[in-house]
Amino acid sequence: MEQKITVALAGNPNAGKTTIFNALTGARQHVGNWPGVTVEKKEGTVKYNSRDIHIVDLPGTYSLTAFSLEEIIARNFIVDSAPDLVVNVVDASNLERNLYLSVQLMEMGCKLVLALNMIDVARGRGITIDEPLFTNLMGVPVILMNGKKGIGLDDLIKAIISEVDKPRPSDDQNRLTYGSEVEEELCKIDCILSQSFRSPGVANSRWLSVKLLEGDTEIIKKIDSLEQRAKIIEQVDKSRAHLNNIFGDSPEIVLADARYGFISGAIKQTVQIERTNRVNLSESIDKILTNRLLGPLILLLVLYSVYIFTFNGSAPLVQYFDSFFSWSGDMISSILPEGLLKSLVVSGIIKGVGGVLGFTPLIAFMFFAIAILEDTGYMARIAFMLDRVLRGFGLHGASMLALMVAGGIAGGCAVPGIMATRTMKEPKERLVTILVAPLMNCGAKLPVYALLIGAFFPGNRAAIMFLLTLISWIMVLLAGRVIRSTVLSGPSAPFVLELPPYRVPTFQGLFIHTWERTWMYLKKAGTVILAVSIIIWALMTFPGLSPERKAFFEEKQDKLSSSFLKDPAVSLILKNQQDLKSFEDSQSVEGKDTQQIDTPLALRYAQYKEDKLRLENEEKSEKLRGTIAGRVGAGLVWVFKPIGFDWKTNVALLGGFAAKEVVVSTLGTAYSMGSVEREQYPTLSEQLKHQPGWNPLMAFTLIMFVMLYAPCVVTLVVIKRETGKWRWMLFAMVYTTVLAYVVAFIVKTTGTLLGIGLT
Amino acid sequence: MSPKVSPKRCLHCASLDDHKCLAEKTVKLSHYKPGQRGKVVQVCGDPDFRLRLMEMGFVRGTEIEVVKYAPLNDPMEFVVKGYHISLRKKQAAHILMNEPELAA
Repeated sequence: MEQKITVALAGNPNAGKTTIFNALTGARQHVGNWPGVTVEKKEGTVKYNSRDIHIVDLPGTYSLTAFSLEEIIARNFIVDSAPDLVVNVVDASNLERNLYLSVQLMEMGCKLVLALNMIDVARGRGITIDEPLFTNLMGVPVILMNGKKGIGLDDLIKAIISEVDKPRPSDDQNRLTYGSEVEEELCKIDCILSQSFRSPGVANSRWLSVKLLEGDTEIIKKIDSLEQRAKIIEQVDKSRAHLNNIFGDSPEIVLADARYGFISGAIKQTVQIERTNRVNLSESIDKILTNRLLGPLILLLVLYSVYIFTFNGSAPLVQYFDSFFSWSGDMISSILPEGLLKSLVVSGIIKGVGGVLGFTPLIAFMFFAIAILEDTGYMARIAFMLDRVLRGFGLHGASMLALMVAGGIAGGCAVPGIMATRTMKEPKERLVTILVAPLMNCGAKLPVYALLIGAFFPGNRAAIMFLLTLISWIMVLLAGRVIRSTVLSGPSAPFVLELPPYRVPTFQGLFIHTWERTWMYLKKAGTVILAVSIIIWALMTFPGLSPERKAFFEEKQDKLSSSFLKDPAVSLILKNQQDLKSFEDSQSVEGKDTQQIDTPLALRYAQYKEDKLRLENEEKSEKLRGTIAGRVGAGLVWVFKPIGFDWKTNVALLGGFAAKEVVVSTLGTAYSMGSVEREQYPTLSEQLKHQPGWNPLMAFTLIMFVMLYAPCVVTLVVIKRETGKWRWMLFAMVYTTVLAYVVAFIVKTTGTLLGIGLT
Repeated sequence: MSPKVSPKRCLHCASLDDHKCLAEKTVKLSHYKPGQRGKVVQVCGDPDFRLRLMEMGFVRGTEIEVVKYAPLNDPMEFVVKGYHISLRKKQAAHILMNEPELAA
């Protein structure tokens, strides 16, 4: 009696399954993915009287027909893993449709407990259920529950244990029969099946016969290995044709009809609905929220708030993380000696970890906002209102949220955007959304835009930014349209969208939702991103300068400092290199520079510092040119010549692969343009303007390229995680870069031909 | 219990026998106005879609009420078996209904 009990939790979406799961397991739960797919799998345990009950939360489904991945997962778990019992969470206020799944579960022959959840809501609507009669008709234990308040939880656990300890029900306890014609055919199939199918597991042969008669392709695959396969298939085809003849409709439709017939019968006998004249609060809310005029306005407001909440709300935390990582970078810098190890730790590892953790507050905040939208029921309304607009572009009403977060308003981020598609159930539409989301103007592209706009379009900042937002939307929609009609063609999933009543979410639910999704991101994406950051660091560091060149730069540096020390204004105070070193250290302390600005020493020192910086950058530039990335950049010159990029731009774009904002700093290094700290962008812009080959047209070409080309590494890793396939990640990388190239080429050529932006 | 045998079938349904089409004697659900309700006579369309709709409760004889159209006139919202569901008009056109009456 001490063995572990495995219980599967099944139920319709919006039936409150998650609430009951959370109430049962509390914090003792674990989230993962179902093997090979990206559908979330939640498990948890309850201890009761020294019995361990292991609970597996199946994906929410309306039936077990194998229409969607969720249905196949739920069904396969019940058949293959043979849980000791299935708890079917049923929304008592929406009994009829919810019972369709229950009937299918009964048919599978597993031990079943019905948890009639939201009994309070049902009572509020004047619904009364004759519990003893209902239990009797269903033939399984029925527990009345209110998951939110934890009412009925104890009864549920007790029922689970007492049912598990009972012997398995025999097949003839089946309550649902389909009438003599159907039963006759089922019997024929069953006869052949049971001859060759000896295992008396959960998948009883009657259930298999029903599924075969329904023409279920997944189940037909399952009997592939059976000896009698040919004979079975022959009988199934005969029976299907026979029933089609009698009923004039295919058996699966006839059976679905009969199941609802059984349910309607049971409900008529046991449920009484008192017509109340009370106003339905949810419907009144919906009248406003999906109103023809107010609805879209409120929708925009809500989307904008999600955006603000995600990015502004998380800003202090992001900043805290940022300063923590730059602080620890500085700390380690001062401890470790100059050299490769320091470079690896500071530029490779700390930057990499910072990159992963830097996203975490963003993602947590976004998932919290999404949890609110989902748990209140507003998410379905977003899809309802926007479907008309987005479906023409191969997207879905629910894509909107992901696109907004990805940068639909400039400054988003594709990583949480792609994670937001987890709320979408339609596989093709979800994939298209994932693939096009990186084209949006994420926050990391903005510094690049700021740099180039500042240098070449200083008078039109706002107008250009607006134009860029518009262009990225057009690109996203067009790309969606093209991908959907080429790579991902085929009919779209039927839009069958339940609009659940508005509900007040529970805090526990919101936090658990947010936490588990954020944790998934950290666990799954984090490790890969760290590895890739180190690889990119290596590409941009090795093989470095040759010893001769290193010596050459050292010599130059020596010359510079000794000539500075020889200056009469300097030599009075600073006698030797030692003094210079300690003076430099004292100067680098913040706020000191300005105090002595007019002394002769300070003036000379400023000049010296600038010369030194220029020399250092010259060295860095040459070093970068020699690295693998630099060589690749140089090797790619012939490819990018038509759009006017030189090797320096190429290296910067390669660097931008790690994170788009790196384009700015790498451009700075490559052009050896002095310090490229954020507050000094104007200087960099100013200097970029005077570089040969740079003009407004070139700047705009680069902006377009940066907007559209390959997503950054983090995004790619997340694409791989969310699609589950390497090829979609590669596709996202290649198609965006080709698109970027083509668009840049068009901009460049048109501009050159028309003579726009050349000066 | 045995499902009722109905002799009349819709020509649009590839999966059905060729009988007299019901389209002329029925009203498409997509033609219903907000506030109107009626009963399902037949669900047409491709087999998977039909089955999905039936599983969601659009079975023969079920009462359906149109609640509203989305702000851009598509999709539509219905009440079926006491819950709210939304379908695109194109899909709703596959659901053949009897003459609508005004919901109470």
